[in-house]
Order: sequence, then C-alpha cells, then structure tokens
Amino acid sequence: MQLKWRVGLIHSFLIAYSLIAVLPILLVVMNSFKIRKAIFGTPLALPSAETFSLVGYVKVLGNANIGIYFFNSLSVTLISMATVLLFGAMAAWALAEYRFKGSNLLALFLSIGIMVPIRLGSISILHMMVDLNLVNTRLALILVYTAQGLPMAIFILSEFISQIPRDLRDAARCDGVPEIAIFFQVIAPLLRPAIATVAVFTIVPIWNDLWFPLLLAPGNDTQTITLGIQQFIGQYITDWNSVLAALSVAIIPVLVIYLIFSRQLISGLTAGAVK
Amino acid sequence: MAKLSLHQLSKSYGSAEILKDISLDIKNGEFVVLVGPSGCGKSTLLRLIAGLDPVTSGSISIGDRIVNDLEPAQRKIAMVFQTYALYPHKNVRENMTFGLKYAGLPAEEISRRVDEASRMLQLQDLLTRKPKDLSGGQRQRVAIGRAIVREPDVFLFDEPLSNLDASLRVSTRVELSRLHTLLKSTMIYVTHDQIEAMTLADRIVVMNKGRIEQTGTPLELYYQPANLFVAGFIGSPKMNQFSAILRNATAATGFGLSVPVKGGDEGSAVTIGIRPEHFVVGREGEHPHAARVELVERLGEISHLHMKLNSGELMIAEWRGRDAPSIGDSLSLAAETSNIHLFDAKGVRI
Amino acid sequence: MLLLFFFLGPAVIVYSIFSVYPLIATMSLSTFTSDSSGALHFVGLENYRLLLMDKDWREPFWNAFLNNIWFFIIHMAVQNPIGIAIAGLLSLPHLKFRGTYRTLIFTPTMLSVVIIGFSWNLILSPLWGISEGFLKFFGLGAFFQPWLGLESSALITIGLISVWQFVGIPLMLIYAALLNVPSELVDAARIDGLSHMRIFFSVKLPLIAPTIGLVSILTFVGNFNAFDLVYSIKGALAGPNFSTDLLGTFFYRTFFGNQLQLGSPTMGATIATAMFLIILIGVCIYLYGIQRRLERHSF
Ligand SMILES: Nc1ncnc2c1ncn2[C@@H]1O[C@H](COP(=O)(O)OP(=O)(O)O)[C@@H](O)[C@H]1O
Ligand SMILES: [Mg+2]
Repeated sequence: MQLKWRVGLIHSFLIAYSLIAVLPILLVVMNSFKIRKAIFGTPLALPSAETFSLVGYVKVLGNANIGIYFFNSLSVTLISMATVLLFGAMAAWALAEYRFKGSNLLALFLSIGIMVPIRLGSISILHMMVDLNLVNTRLALILVYTAQGLPMAIFILSEFISQIPRDLRDAARCDGVPEIAIFFQVIAPLLRPAIATVAVFTIVPIWNDLWFPLLLAPGNDTQTITLGIQQFIGQYITDWNSVLAALSVAIIPVLVIYLIFSRQLISGLTAGAVK
Repeated sequence: MAKLSLHQLSKSYGSAEILKDISLDIKNGEFVVLVGPSGCGKSTLLRLIAGLDPVTSGSISIGDRIVNDLEPAQRKIAMVFQTYALYPHKNVRENMTFGLKYAGLPAEEISRRVDEASRMLQLQDLLTRKPKDLSGGQRQRVAIGRAIVREPDVFLFDEPLSNLDASLRVSTRVELSRLHTLLKSTMIYVTHDQIEAMTLADRIVVMNKGRIEQTGTPLELYYQPANLFVAGFIGSPKMNQFSAILRNATAATGFGLSVPVKGGDEGSAVTIGIRPEHFVVGREGEHPHAARVELVERLGEISHLHMKLNSGELMIAEWRGRDAPSIGDSLSLAAETSNIHLFDAKGVRI
Repeated sequence: MLLLFFFLGPAVIVYSIFSVYPLIATMSLSTFTSDSSGALHFVGLENYRLLLMDKDWREPFWNAFLNNIWFFIIHMAVQNPIGIAIAGLLSLPHLKFRGTYRTLIFTPTMLSVVIIGFSWNLILSPLWGISEGFLKFFGLGAFFQPWLGLESSALITIGLISVWQFVGIPLMLIYAALLNVPSELVDAARIDGLSHMRIFFSVKLPLIAPTIGLVSILTFVGNFNAFDLVYSIKGALAGPNFSTDLLGTFFYRTFFGNQLQLGSPTMGATIATAMFLIILIGVCIYLYGIQRRLERHSF
C-alpha cells in the first residue's frame, strides 16, 4: 500500500514536469491553427470546427522564401554533419590507432575547441570570409560549423573507437587489408551507433544556430530557417496568426524528426560516450 | 609451409623489457605450443612473429626470408585471435574472403578456397550468417576458416579456446589436432592451459617473464623439467618441492628422505621434486615416511590427499581407487625412486 | 606519414583555419585600435584598460559580467538539481513509461533557442493573457506581472526559460552515468536494507560526482557564451535598461554597433578575449581544482 502510494507520487511528479516541458510548445502549435479571436478568447482550448484556421500558415508558406530557408538549413546542416562525421572519424581513428610524436599534443590541441566556443573568434572569421569572398554563401556556414563540430565529434568518436577490440584491426592487418580500407571497411561501419550521439552534439546546435547565420549569411538567399523565422517575426510582430504559424513551421519538422528518432537519439546519448 | 626461426629476439615497451633474447627454431610442419603464466609475453611474441608490432632487436625469419621489415600480409602468416575478431558487419563468407580480395586472387580461386575450408570446418550452412547469429564454437570455426583460406606458411593461434566453455574446448581441441594432421602446416599456438599444451604440441616452449625456460616434447618436459619453474608449471597438481641439504653425495630432507646425488657442492641447499602421482601411499608404518591427511579432494577414480609430513612440510599425493582415506588419518609414504627430480640452489636440474 | 596526413589533415586544417586561427587573430586584434579611416594602430593593453577603467565601458562590462554570473547561478541552483532529481527518478528500477518521460522532458532541448525565446515571449506577454489566465485558474491571478518587461525580474525570467529549455542536457548526462552504476551495487545496498532515497544519496551520487563536475563546467561554458535567448527575446539592447545584458549580447552590440553607438571591431575583440579568459579560468579551475579531486571509479 505504502509502496503504491510512493510510485504514484513519483509518477505525478514526472507527469507534472513532462507537462511543464511540452505544454508551452503545444500551446504555440495549437493556437497557430486557430482564428485570431480564439487565440485570445480561449487560448487553452484545442482548435474546433469554428475556431480552426490556417490563415497564419497561408501567409507564412505564401512567403516564397520559406522554402529557400528550409533548403538552406537542410543543406548546411547535412553537409556540415557529413564532413564533421567523416573528418572527425578519420582524425579520431588516427589519434586512437597510431602512436606518433606529438600525438598527445595534437589531441590536446583538438580538444581546446570542446571548451572554448568558436563564437569568440567571430570577428576574425567575418574578416576572413570577407577576404575569401564567402560572405552570404552557405559554404561559409559549412566551414565554420565543421570547425565547430569537429572537436566534440573527435572526442566522442575516439572514445567509441577505443572500445572497438584491437584484435579486429590486427585481424584485418594479418588479412592484408590496406590501412585506408581498414578504416573505411572495418571501422567506419562499426561507428554507426555513435552517429546519434555525434548528431545531438553537432546537428542540433547547427540547425538551431542564430549567431553565424546572422553574421555570415544574412542575405535573403542564404538565410537559414532559424534566422528567416526570426526576421519574419520581426516584420509581422503584431500579426499573431502569422507569428504563431511561423514558430510552428520551425517547430513541427524538428518535433516530428525528434519523435521518430528519439529512441535512437537518447540511447545514443546515454550509451556512455560521455561518462 | 615453412620453417620459422627467431634469433635473439627482444621487445621493449619504453623501458619495460617484455621479451629478452628469445631464440627458437621451428621445423616445417611442426606444431609448437607456447605456454607460460599470464603476462609472460606469449601474445607479444606472437604479435612480433605476425608483424603487428615491430621488434626491438633480433631477427625473425620465415622460410628463407628475414621478415622483420615486412607487413603482416607479406609474411604469409594467418592469425586466430582469442576474441575471434570477426568483422561484425560482414557475413561468414565475407569474413573469409575480405582479405583475399586485397591479395588480388581471381574469383574462382577465392570461391574454391572458401568451399574447401567451409567443408573442412562444416561451415557450409552458415556462410550467409552474421557473426552475431553464430554460437561461440561456430565463431571460432569461422575464425579458423578465415585463417585457412589464406593458405599461410605459418598459422598463429592466440589462446583460441579460452573463450569457449569446457566441453566445447575439448572438442575444438581435438578438431584442431585433426586439422594439423590434415594441413601439415607449421603452427604456433599460445595458451596458458597446460593440458592444451600437452595434448596438442609436437614441441612445447615454456616461457616465464619474457624468457624461454625450456623447449621440448611434452614428455620431456614432464619427465625431465630443466628447472624448478618448468617442474612447477607442467603437471597438475603441482610437483611437490622439498628443500634438502647436500652432504656426502646425498641430499637429505627434513622428513628423512635421502637421495644419492652425483656432483654438486658439499653443504649446499638443493630441492627435491616429486610429483603427487609418484608417491606410493600405504597404511601407517607400511612405508618409510609418516604423514597425516589434512584435506581430501575426491575426483572420482583418483583423489588428491593434502598431507602434513612429520617435519611439518605440506605436500600432495595422489590416491587411486574409491576407498580414499579421510581427514585426520595417519598414513605412510614412499617415493618412486625413478621419478625423483633434483634441482640445485639456483633451481637448475642436476 | 602520408597515411597520418590523409587521416588527420582535413580535420586539422579546417579546425585550425576556422576555429583556432580566428581565436588567435581576435586576441591579437584586441591590442589594436582603428582610427576614422579604418587603419589599425597597435595600442598594447590600452583596450583592456578602457574596458576595465573607462566609465563608458566599465559600467556596461561589469553589468554584463554580473548578470552573467547571476545567469550561471540560476542554472546551477535550478537546472542542475532538477536534472539530477529527474535523472534519479528515471533511473529507479521497475519504473514504467521511463522512455516517454525521457522523450517529453528532452523535447525543449532539441528546439531552437530563438523559437523558444519567441514562444515564451508570447506566452508571458500580458497582451495574450495566457499566463495570467493560467494563474487565475489556480487563484493566483494577482501574482501575474509582465515579468519579462520588468527590470527586477527580466533576467531571472530569461534564466528560468533557459533552464526550462536546457535541463535535458544535465538530465541525460547524469541519467547515463546512473545507468553505468552497476546494478549489483544497488542490489547489495538494498539487501543491506538501504532505502532508495539513501541509495541514491549515499551510493549513486558519490559515484557520479565526476559527471556532475562535467555538467557544471558545460553549464559554465554555455552560460558565459549565451547570446541567442536574450537576443531573440530582448534584442541586442538587452532591455529593459540592459538588465538582461550578458557578455554575449554586449560583445555583439559592441562589434556591430546599434542605435546608441558605432560598431568597434577592436573593442569587440577585446570583449571576446575577456570572455575567452573568463571561460579559460573556469575551465582551469575545473580541470585542476575540481576534476582532480573527484575520484573516478571504473566498474
Ligand atoms: N602495448 C603495450 N605497451 C606496454 N606494455 C605492454 C603492451 N602490450 C603488452 N604489454 C606488457 O607486456 C607483458 C606481456 O604481455 P602479453 O604478451 O600480452 O602476455 P601474455 O603472456 O599473457 O599473452 C605484460 O606485462 C603487458 O603488460
Ligand atoms: Mg595473451
């Protein structure tokens, strides 16, 4: 009896906190589907037949740029992720597998970036991009995000690689497999479970970043969705339907992807890379 | 197939000298087992032979070539690991063929070898399975198959049976023995299990602390151990060791056993070694040395009697038959004179 | 050698050019000043003297710095205890719906700070009235205030929004560490008659101390680098009356300029370097002062 009571208490606490976590988000998404009057009149009610309206979405999605913003975010994030994973895994492998003069020093050098945010170098990054004629290009963002994501990725992947049994690499060497093929054909396929962990630490910050898009690619053709929504809201600040719809447009895709992959994502996170 | 020789081989990691001055000649087709306690450098030696780690000094030759500077793949060796080291994302066939592709073999040759090896190891039905869908014994057979398809001059095994359960270990051991008869290749096999060593080897190399203590056939090691370490390592339960003093060409122990000795320094301390199975045990007074039973381990047909001699020394003797004595019984012992081993103060056989 | 270059080259090159070099260049820029024509002149540590002594710089700098410390304290006092508590509950044996709770509570962490900032801005706005209505429902309507608009409460409110969003990170890290505590240890403690509460505080918590240290330093670095949330809720001016100004927004304003002043890359670089030093000091205290003392246990 007492035990039941205690379990109940634990669940009510967890339910309460879960509500605190998701209610604000639901509130925004829910109201984005309502007519203006209902947004203010009955903000806590679900949209009903009378209050349902897509007027905000019509305006947001009618804004031809939203598609471009989405494409920009998607391409920047995916390409950055791919380069972070590829370069990061290659470097992590070399650091974990080959002992050479200065390898510890190099590992230390690469790990500075875990603790020191790349943003602090923004001024010089901007100057450099101006000199390279890369301002307002997606490439500028990709390069910076790759540099930003690498240290953490190398750290996580090194831990992961060091857990791959040494015998496996030795077996491949005895089999006469060349070093580069050992990496791409034996080690890389085994890194799949680490990708979720790397993703949380690199993709999410890239997709959600406001700073570098604002700094390096504020032009209309190169804006990311986060920046685009921010600017859109700035323009239509009093048009609640549009603002809520714009926020939802930014939230819903991420939410859907998150819910689909949450199990892998979270098990990747808890799989211990960071102990 | 080829002979293999190691010449004054040493290996250090930093300042730690792991292998010291190892010289060994292995004949073509010989099955050599390296035994020794855990950490004595067996795996290190095998990895040097395989070319996975560079030697610090000395030379390794396989066939007529010195292979010190060759990559593992160029040495014509194949290695089977304790953890099997199968590629988890490749199926059994791919595991066996992965290395061959890089050797530039034609496809028919590759499939001929895989067919032959899988027939030999009864892997035909498993070729499309992934390692995770195999049992421990099957994985081990795949690992051996992957070595066989390379058709190497020398097979290297690093404790290949220690991850298997006891009964599987025995059957795989027999299978390995059969395989050696069939393939007639040179094989070097590392284990810390002396039963594996005794049953598989043409020749055993006993290692300790990075050195070779003795090389010989299983029976040589059993009957003529070169020193106290080998005497203690080979045989189970361990050989009993009694300290004795050498006087008038006779070594005498505290409990009254005297053994004639040729040579040796007068007055020096020597050790007399007698295996548990080389005692004759009888009723009190029947034999010269009295002893009391302190513990009895019954293994079925034989029992191990842990006894205390009247000098206070502890020893183990083997008892055959079902009517083993009980704790507290007073018995008497005699040693079989033909199976008494003598070692000088440095532990070297006299 | 060629092999090493193949594997390490791409990462090292991109990282050096776009992360390390800009950092160093920024530090060096902080020792220059630019005149009206844009030409740079070396001035040594003059910019730092300005930042710390000059009346026009000193006040906003200390304001942002102290606000930042508050921001950090709010996170340490609210975010991390909540994270630890929820992780502790989630790691209890035989708990049902564990995965669902985890997913829900981690959701805000996945979303953009900008989106979160705007959403809360709307929710807390007296215009919409949703928060007021919510409080009224519990009979607490009288307590409602436009928290984000008041100088006295804006920073705390933004801090709590940030806590709300990022509690998932300590939660997950600590949860992962708790899962790594071997269950035999907990079983042994239960057989010894310890309650779950006691087990958590006297067995699990000491074992995961290194993770709590890690969480603290990650919080520190994140907080002293924060920008997006304040910017999206309050804009670069971090109102009302700079009460929500953090080093990140101060840096941005100084570099880009705003309605009140012209942008100054050299002073911006000076502030960035100061932030770098603050973070570095924090990291060093963590590495040498805290982490060393925390014993690492391997199971
Ligand atoms: N890469 C290495 N670096 C330093 N020491 C090593 C390394 N590999 C093995 N050793 C040391 O060498 C000794 C022998 O190891 P090993 O050959 O694995 O012994 P075993 O006989 O059990 O196979 C051990 O003491 C081990 O600690
Ligand atoms: Mg070994």
